Amino acid sequence: MSDEKVRMPIPLYGFLEGDTLGLLMLAEEGETVLQLARKLQQAASLRVARVDQIDFIYNGKAIDPGITVAQAGFQELDRFDVISRGKL
Amino acid sequence: MLSREEWLPLARKLDWDYTYVREDEVFPPVISGHPWLPHTEWKDWEESFKTSYREYVDNQYEKDMAVYAVRDAVGRLENIQKLAAPWMNSLKVHAAALPLAEFTGVIGSLRGARFGRDSAWRTMSTFGALDEYRHTQIPLLLFHQLVRLDSQFDWAHKFYHTNNWFAIASRHFFDELTLGQNAIEFAIGTNFVLETGFTNLQFVGLASLARESSDHMFERMVTSIQTDEARHAQIGHPVLAVLMKHDPEYVQYLLDKWFWRSWRLFSILTGLSTDYLTALDQRPYSFKEFMEEWIIDQYLRTLDEFGLKKPWYWDIFQDELDIYHHMIYASAYTYRATLWFDFVVPSPAERKWLRQKYPKYWDDMEAVWEQVAERWRTVGPGAANELGVHGTALPTFCDLCQLPLSAGTPRKNTATVLVREGRKYIFCSEPCRWIFLREPERYANHKDLVKRVLSGEAPADFSKLLTEYFRLTPDTWGKDVYHGAYDWLAAQKTSSA
Repeated sequence: MSDEKVRMPIPLYGFLEGDTLGLLMLAEEGETVLQLARKLQQAASLRVARVDQIDFIYNGKAIDPGITVAQAGFQELDRFDVISRGKL
Repeated sequence: MLSREEWLPLARKLDWDYTYVREDEVFPPVISGHPWLPHTEWKDWEESFKTSYREYVDNQYEKDMAVYAVRDAVGRLENIQKLAAPWMNSLKVHAAALPLAEFTGVIGSLRGARFGRDSAWRTMSTFGALDEYRHTQIPLLLFHQLVRLDSQFDWAHKFYHTNNWFAIASRHFFDELTLGQNAIEFAIGTNFVLETGFTNLQFVGLASLARESSDHMFERMVTSIQTDEARHAQIGHPVLAVLMKHDPEYVQYLLDKWFWRSWRLFSILTGLSTDYLTALDQRPYSFKEFMEEWIIDQYLRTLDEFGLKKPWYWDIFQDELDIYHHMIYASAYTYRATLWFDFVVPSPAERKWLRQKYPKYWDDMEAVWEQVAERWRTVGPGAANELGVHGTALPTFCDLCQLPLSAGTPRKNTATVLVREGRKYIFCSEPCRWIFLREPERYANHKDLVKRVLSGEAPADFSKLLTEYFRLTPDTWGKDVYHGAYDWLAAQKTSSA
């Protein structure tokens, strides 16, 4: 067996400001929080126009969009929100 | 021979003392319900409308004949084919969600017929069970002929035998309310809350919409059903009156729980038909107006009559009147292939009407519909482009009501996560979370759709989820009624070009 573990995506509940429902998002540990936010925007783009300036909210706080999903410490089935910049 | 007035009290009040068994063995608390009281506490139980079996059969026969006469006169396929296409989809919602749910009402009523604590209650429940059979059979009979017209009507039989997400939510509701319920909670949840309140939405509100839509067959059918509901719903009041003397806190809990659970389901069943699937010029009122007139005023009066309080979540509920079913409709439209009926995009004129009726949050909903319309403009109308105007990520669901996480507003979704005994749950709203936490042992092991997908019980592949788990086919899954070919959309495109 290799020491390198197979990394499974982390399922998360994503809520985009302006949307009418939450979506299940699969987060890769190596992707950045900003990439995850863009993925949610894309998944909701049928209902919500894309906003460039955003905040990523996790556990009630805006977190650095440049850190990775692993660094952010997401646990399976946590909630995150993507909102317009400065609305928190 | 006894006269009717002499005979009826003997027939409907026939209780006796047990000598070979204890009373709590004849009426076990687990199935008769809480609080368990000796019969002396129930002996004055009285229904306000008394009937004999002969009278019941005569009345029901006449009502059935009246329904069949209307069917023969205006219920033929050629009559139905003249109805507006969006309205036909209201019928599909009703046909799938209600008739077999009424059958679960047979089971619940029969439980009351055996384990209700007074003989008059048991007599009324026996009639109630016969009523619910009728409410299953008549719609199934009338909708069956429509399968020839549109195979989506086959879901009248099929719906509850699938794992479609809305079927999961409806089963979760009716399994608890009717199929698996003790006699007391059934009387409060079904007879008192649902039948004196929320079924008015389907059987009175929808009857009125049907009349406006020239659907006289449906109007006659639900009006006929409503006359039965009004009779057997009265079981709830005298049960509640006895409970109030012994455990008013429990009564308050049951009412608060079942009002919320009923609101959740019926805001979808009736809200979508009232505000979206009925032609604009045939809408006599908005869903919110109907709720205020037929549910809220009457419910608050009844609470007051019994010395009960408004539910603790009343402010949340009143706020939801302005937005919840709109959030659900927009979500469902953009995931319409997961359902068995078709949808429409509200036109600018309809959105203007909706803004007048629901000014509080309509700006946010307008933005959503503008975005959907823009997507249709981009991909162009046509059946082949349906999936270009459709969601792709898996929607998420509440661990209590099993409905999409669509509560709150587009600006602030109110879903909350709960960790309990090492397991994570999510709830669309505080009332759903509260209900779960009051009886976690009842709900904790039920898996919502997301958890079924994550555990491998349901397919993760979206196409397989629709066909293998939801039991839909490309022919029967929901579409835009007009496949995006709206005159107003084309006109907007021309004027902006």
